[in-house]
Amino acid sequence: MADLIGGIPLFVLEFGDELVYFTPYTITLFLLALTFTLLVLISRPERQIDIAFGGDAYRAKEITVAEMRFRRFMAIACGLATMGAMVTGDIFNFTLFTAMVGITNVGIVAAVKSRHVQDAAYQYGLVALAATVPLFAGAAVYAAVTGSLSMIELMKGTVPAVPLIAKGMLVLGVIGEGMAPFYAAKAEMFRAPGAPYVIMCSLSSLLIFLRVVEIVMLG
Amino acid sequence: MIIRKISHVLSNYENITRLFAGACLLLFIAGILLLPLPYSEKQLYPKTFDRNSSLDPYDRGGPPFEQVGIVSQYPENSPTAGFVTSYLTPLSLFLSEQTLHLGTTIVAHPGGIIDEILYNTRGLDTVVEATILFIAFAIASYIYRRV
Repeated sequence: MADLIGGIPLFVLEFGDELVYFTPYTITLFLLALTFTLLVLISRPERQIDIAFGGDAYRAKEITVAEMRFRRFMAIACGLATMGAMVTGDIFNFTLFTAMVGITNVGIVAAVKSRHVQDAAYQYGLVALAATVPLFAGAAVYAAVTGSLSMIELMKGTVPAVPLIAKGMLVLGVIGEGMAPFYAAKAEMFRAPGAPYVIMCSLSSLLIFLRVVEIVMLG
Repeated sequence: MIIRKISHVLSNYENITRLFAGACLLLFIAGILLLPLPYSEKQLYPKTFDRNSSLDPYDRGGPPFEQVGIVSQYPENSPTAGFVTSYLTPLSLFLSEQTLHLGTTIVAHPGGIIDEILYNTRGLDTVVEATILFIAFAIASYIYRRV
């Protein structure tokens, strides 16, 4: 029953002890991340304009090329990390990719020269930092209880059942890294100009959250 | 009405950190209450500690550039698993012969860090770990140089 959650793996790439597997579910998420990374790669960023309400005055925000280049680099790194998190078949590898998504999300917004945005990014960075504790603790409990880190083995049911607390830690860690339910805080960061890059923060956190739902239902 | 109040609290991003810390605290208290957790004796990559080794706790056995027997999940996928790729530089080797405490400084001097990439089993993990570190460096250097 459990192996039907993400669908039956269509293709398993043998990569040492860390299998990479593609189910219909993970393929969908992977393609979404891939498409958006390509969009970030080729698209030109927006130019944000502030319009004074009730008048004709407006001013365009100055954005340097260096800043945009750095943010594009971070967005692409975030996309690659998200793709990795989508297809990996290893718990510890997933947590590593999730941690990388968290830090690149901070990078995307931290480059913006606005005090308000940077304050929000700092707080977000603290949460991402703290979230590594439950994230990696969850993976450690997975390893200790089941004696394995492979999702394929969890799927087969050949290892002992995973305790609820390990799943809770993993989910809380992913919530912290991706800030999935805390979009109120992310809205502050979205005041940062540069449309395709800030959306990458949202998309990556959504995708890693969808993926962790599959993972906790495996074991 | 209650949703509006919650949104209002959450809209202050300084509260997010506190909320997350509280959630972590509750979960860890629950984790402590749920102890003991079962421990599977059949672990991957078992290692033994040699307390008398000067590289303790990093000494995981095996001579450099030799293969040692380890338990991996899919041994058929990586025939070179257990190949010890670590080595010490002459300086580290000299230090390890002089003192019993090199293990505590193993990552703090050249030649010691190589020891971390020990068995050729979980290669991608090592790559991603280093990538996270370099991404962090990139962000820090960008912000530092701009200000």
